[in-house]
Amino acid sequence: MAFTVNTAQLLLLLLHFVSGFIIDGDKYKRQVSLELNPGLNSSITPPPGVSLLHVRAVGANDTLHFLFCSLGAPTLLMVHTNTSSSSVKVDWRRFLSGSPPSSLQVEPESSILYSSALIFTQLWEYDDANNTANPQTLPPSSFLPPYELQNFTWGDLNLTADSARLCGGDGSPSFSNGSFCLEITAFGSGGRDHGWPRLLHNANSSQLRVWLDGVTARSNHSRFSLELQTVGSSDLPSRVEVLRSIDDEYTPSIFQVHQWVASPFNTTSPVLGYTQWKPVAYRIANPSLEEATPCRHSSPVPLPELPPSGLVRAYFGDGYQASGLNVSFGIAGDPFYNTTDYLSWTMLVGLGTPPVDSFSPLVIVIMAVGLGTPLILILLGGVYVCIRKRRTEPLAYEPIN
Amino acid sequence: MAEREESQNLLDEHEDDSGASRPMAAICDPSRLPHRIVVLVFMCFLGFGSYFCYDNPAALQTQVQQDMKLNTAKFMQLYAWYSWPNVVLCFLGGFMLDRVFGIRLGTVIFSLFVCVGQVIFAAGALFNAFWLMEVGRFVFGIGGESLAVAQNTYAVNWFKGKELNLVFGLQLSMARVGSTVNMNIMGWVYSRMQSLLGTTGPTTLGATLMLASVTCVFSLVCALVLAYLDKRAEKILNKEQGKTAGHQLTQEFENVDVKASRFLSAGEVIKLTDVKDFSLSLWLIFLICVAYYVAIFPFIGLGQVFFIEKFNFSPAEARAVNSIVYIISAPASPILGFLVDKLGKNIIWVLCAVVCTLAAHMMLAFTFLSPWIAMSLLGVSYSLLACALWPMVSFVVPEHQLGTAYGFMQSIQNLGLALISMAAGAILDSRGYLFLEVFFSACICLALIGVIMLYFVDFLGGGELNLSASARAKLQKDATSDSE
Repeated sequence: MAFTVNTAQLLLLLLHFVSGFIIDGDKYKRQVSLELNPGLNSSITPPPGVSLLHVRAVGANDTLHFLFCSLGAPTLLMVHTNTSSSSVKVDWRRFLSGSPPSSLQVEPESSILYSSALIFTQLWEYDDANNTANPQTLPPSSFLPPYELQNFTWGDLNLTADSARLCGGDGSPSFSNGSFCLEITAFGSGGRDHGWPRLLHNANSSQLRVWLDGVTARSNHSRFSLELQTVGSSDLPSRVEVLRSIDDEYTPSIFQVHQWVASPFNTTSPVLGYTQWKPVAYRIANPSLEEATPCRHSSPVPLPELPPSGLVRAYFGDGYQASGLNVSFGIAGDPFYNTTDYLSWTMLVGLGTPPVDSFSPLVIVIMAVGLGTPLILILLGGVYVCIRKRRTEPLAYEPIN
Repeated sequence: MAEREESQNLLDEHEDDSGASRPMAAICDPSRLPHRIVVLVFMCFLGFGSYFCYDNPAALQTQVQQDMKLNTAKFMQLYAWYSWPNVVLCFLGGFMLDRVFGIRLGTVIFSLFVCVGQVIFAAGALFNAFWLMEVGRFVFGIGGESLAVAQNTYAVNWFKGKELNLVFGLQLSMARVGSTVNMNIMGWVYSRMQSLLGTTGPTTLGATLMLASVTCVFSLVCALVLAYLDKRAEKILNKEQGKTAGHQLTQEFENVDVKASRFLSAGEVIKLTDVKDFSLSLWLIFLICVAYYVAIFPFIGLGQVFFIEKFNFSPAEARAVNSIVYIISAPASPILGFLVDKLGKNIIWVLCAVVCTLAAHMMLAFTFLSPWIAMSLLGVSYSLLACALWPMVSFVVPEHQLGTAYGFMQSIQNLGLALISMAAGAILDSRGYLFLEVFFSACICLALIGVIMLYFVDFLGGGELNLSASARAKLQKDATSDSE
């Protein structure tokens, strides 16, 4: 009878898993709306290439504001308020003037629970002649002058239903046929993108993809690395957690999740906000396993001054601490950038606890059927043999064939 | 590659074929042990090249994929193309060896196939033409499996009734040594070649593989030397060539860990019409065989990168852990074979092996436990299964159908390997390693279902397969005395 119990337990477990996946899969939903240049009237024209995207994600009793702006270095600002009626106020004249403390505010100010910004400041290119792919050990002479993203000329924000794309270049010959692009996608509910790395997202997050397309490399062995900075309302130290995962089903061959969080080292207090990515970049626009390239990050360091971002200055003003890290793409022996002239990397920016991958229902069903069938067979076979034996005793040996 | 080699063959013959005795140095006298040892050395190295080169793609997976710009599905085609010719050749190899070419010419021809195949394979890399590499693997496959048959036939010819058991064991160990050396050395050879040529790319890969083909040339030389020595022995001892000891072999299959190729080499008549007479038990054995081996060989083909990606192993360590299955099975096969022979209860052993393999695959899929544990378990259970599964065929098939049964078993095994190799590559490309491991686990579950059904089918039919060795011997004795 032990087997019946086992089978029943297994089925129950299976049911639990499957239902858990479907129900838990992130039930929280938000109403998402995208708006370009909120509150901008016709009397002010922003300079070309400067636009402000406001993503409003309204939940049952809170609101998430995502603001994305190309004034200065491209910046994504996330503000969480405890009311579903908070709004963004921009004093456009001061915001564009260059020295704009508190020219952008989320009102009512008392409703703000948490805010944090992610800034893309620099794009490094280095000549990896020895093919080590480790910029931290290279001499300074290997580094080509970095691209300062604050000096880039950006095209117009290209808006779709739930995403916006920003592309630009620095006007140099390297960018004559290429561009550096960022795409932000907002989500009203849980799910995954179609293309790899298929990060699991929920209603409290939005996804950022950056890619470098068709840029002419300045050396034959060029690799790139990207400098990121964060500024947040909490002055907790920031660190990158590296989590191992046995599940690479959605991002083949990647068994790690990296998340850059601001939280105390010693306690298990909940994470307030995070930037999460899988350590993989893709060398072609349509990701595939053979064109995947690992990426590495340096440990975050506190920075003496705030990043050159219009959004950070307008919202935070002085008195905040920035911290930054570099993400470098490729490992020793991987092809250089100029083999495909393409590099794409995706990350998730969100609020609260970062989403954790779980097995897909298909995997669970396969394992349950695979392990369950032999058990059921043993059970049925055992019963049948018992019955037969009782009927036809004594059993004579019959030769096979 | 599959089950080319099994551990042992206990021949109870004490036939004396010392032949004409004339004064001759022991080392030159075909009727004396020292000379046979010399022959044995050549015999062992006869298969070295093909075993060394069979797993070249696995040992150089990253390099092959990067230099030839392949996805995993295309990479696994290299293994599929090796298996395709053997779907048919399993029936023909032994026949051609015995009836068409004769053992000496046949061995040279098969060695040539192996050699030429590897050279074409390397040339494909040199010219950056992947289709040519596939052609090379196909030609290599034609020679590879049949060469194993030839090797066994030579062993029977020279050591029948003497040290045959030991010889089979040695040949097996040699095969494992070939695979292991390949796994652990090819990455190093490639990096030497890279620093020599100053670049990576198809040329470097081609040069590395060309260098590997030296082992095949070496094996070809062994084949020529063996042909000469065999001819010479025939003259001296007035023996007839190559009429292999098939009849005696098949008579002795009680307690014998037999192997398809040995029966095929023994000139068994293959009748495909026999297939309709196969019993349910035999079909279940086929199912177990296919479902089990497709979760072993394609996995080893893809293993190296898996250990690097999931367990952060260095390439050298990954190659080492990937070859542990071969290393373990070299000593484990004879020991386990001996145990199974003594204890009987084959189905229980098969069940143990399948369950252990399932545990190993699930460990690799769902935990970060060191793969050394899982791969060692895989190595032991793989050896155990080989020792317990293959002899079962001889218990459920009448003697005259044995050749057909074994040929059929190897044929569908190769068919399964070809198909699953391709599927495994495609699964990895689209869904990653976890899913691939789940897929392999599902295959093993299928084998497990087969074993359980086999147990009940056998139990209801009288339990012949699961007898202990002593009971089986008694039954055999009774049968013999009945017929007299």
